[in-house]
Amino acid sequence: MLQATDLTKRYDDIRALDGFSLEVADGEIVGLVGHNGAGKTTFVEVASGLVRPDGGTVLIDGLPPAEVRGQIGISPQHMALYKSLTVREHLELYGALAGLRRAALRSAVDELAQALRLTGFLNRQTGLLSGGQQRRTQAATALIHRPSLLLMDEPTAGADPETRQALLDVVKQRAAEGTAVVYTTHYLNELSDLRATIAVAAHGRVIARGSATELLNELPGEVRVTGGGEDVRVSTTNSTATLLEVLRERQQPVDLVELRDPTLDDLYRSLAASHD
Amino acid sequence: MTESLFRTSALIRYNALLRLRDPAQMVSFMVIPMILMVLFRPLYARAIGAGQVQAVTGQLVMFSIFAMAIVGYALLLEREWRTWDRLRVSRAARAELVVGKAVPVFLMLLLQQFVLIIYGILVIGLPVPRLPGLLLLAMSIWGFTLLAMGSMMATLMRSWGDMIIAADLVAITFSSIGGTLLPVSLMPGWARAIAPFSPGYWGLSIIRAGVQGHPAGVLRAAPVCLAIGIVTGAIATYRLAHGWGRGHLL
Repeated sequence: MLQATDLTKRYDDIRALDGFSLEVADGEIVGLVGHNGAGKTTFVEVASGLVRPDGGTVLIDGLPPAEVRGQIGISPQHMALYKSLTVREHLELYGALAGLRRAALRSAVDELAQALRLTGFLNRQTGLLSGGQQRRTQAATALIHRPSLLLMDEPTAGADPETRQALLDVVKQRAAEGTAVVYTTHYLNELSDLRATIAVAAHGRVIARGSATELLNELPGEVRVTGGGEDVRVSTTNSTATLLEVLRERQQPVDLVELRDPTLDDLYRSLAASHD
Repeated sequence: MTESLFRTSALIRYNALLRLRDPAQMVSFMVIPMILMVLFRPLYARAIGAGQVQAVTGQLVMFSIFAMAIVGYALLLEREWRTWDRLRVSRAARAELVVGKAVPVFLMLLLQQFVLIIYGILVIGLPVPRLPGLLLLAMSIWGFTLLAMGSMMATLMRSWGDMIIAADLVAITFSSIGGTLLPVSLMPGWARAIAPFSPGYWGLSIIRAGVQGHPAGVLRAAPVCLAIGIVTGAIATYRLAHGWGRGHLL
């Protein structure tokens, strides 16, 4: 579906993209993570056709983004809503621009409003909505035409749990129907919920790519034993063996034993630190 | 209806809604000239005899230039709300986006002129135009010129604050030098010499010729108004396509 190869983009003396490559298959959710300034948003803008790269190529089903704009749905990082238009008017506008008409448009609006819990304030101007409601409205404008590629740039930033769950459920559903999704976030637990594959970006390129399991297998977990005024923490790739060894060597009573598997946060910190 | 027409009509509809929900500026640009027409009419009558035409067309042109701020506001809001980029990623072509944005604002500019002409006839005693079609043509050409100039200003300004200052400065300079406040014939020699370099002068010429039913006057001013519109519109389009906002594609 999406094939980005060796993208470069420079803003003055800042290299926003520096050899950025990423492939996303139909029905796949790719969680794109990385520090601020890693190139995530620039990549989303290039992939959507909004920004022209200095080098490299982006192809969506073999075509450049400008030729398949109707197939792309984008939810930008920043809020991009008309404050004096209602939620319904937003959905109808973006639906109409994507070619939906009359009954099909009405049905798409109702379905999405229900899925994203927007039904109660469809006729309210977006300037009067809470941050979470605006987030859901923005996401809905990206989803209304059932795009085959969904680009979501930190769609849950600052959102409440209700908003987050509603969005994740809809994204999962769309992916199950075959939509390719690029989902940037700093909330790594969302990627577990989405069962997303992971791409870690740093300094304008992807530095690690794979399933969460593949990437986490390479990281150590932690064994923690406390008791008798001591708190012992050991980093290990074989927690059971390490725990047995620690317990065997201890002379003091044990109050607490903790085995912690590596998390996506550990992966993110480890990869980002190794590329700083 | 073709896909393109359908998308364009959707854009026009929602852009019109945006303008209608924010009517304060346009209302003020209609009410203030109405008041000034009444106040200035006796002055013009004493100075140049027939005061109605100067009172109505002068205030109409002056406040139509002020209304360029509405064009700028409509464009700058897209940047402030970051919705322009969002539209660019939709299936709508660049021409559809531009037409969808321009048509409602153009119609508002025409509405302002239309309301002020009707008010002039009913309250100030402006003679009913002999050739309504000619007047409509004159108003349309002047509306296009204002639309293009306002678009250029919006794409050159960095903020709404800059836009307000620029719009006020341009409106007062262009309209006063163009003869909308003080008739050109009563201006000092140096001002008479530079008056034709002001778009306001040509706006006043074409609207006055339209009101008085003089096709030759409309034809004389129309090429200048259109040329100003085409040049400023081209600059606006270039700016929209190159570097207006973060992106580099329209």
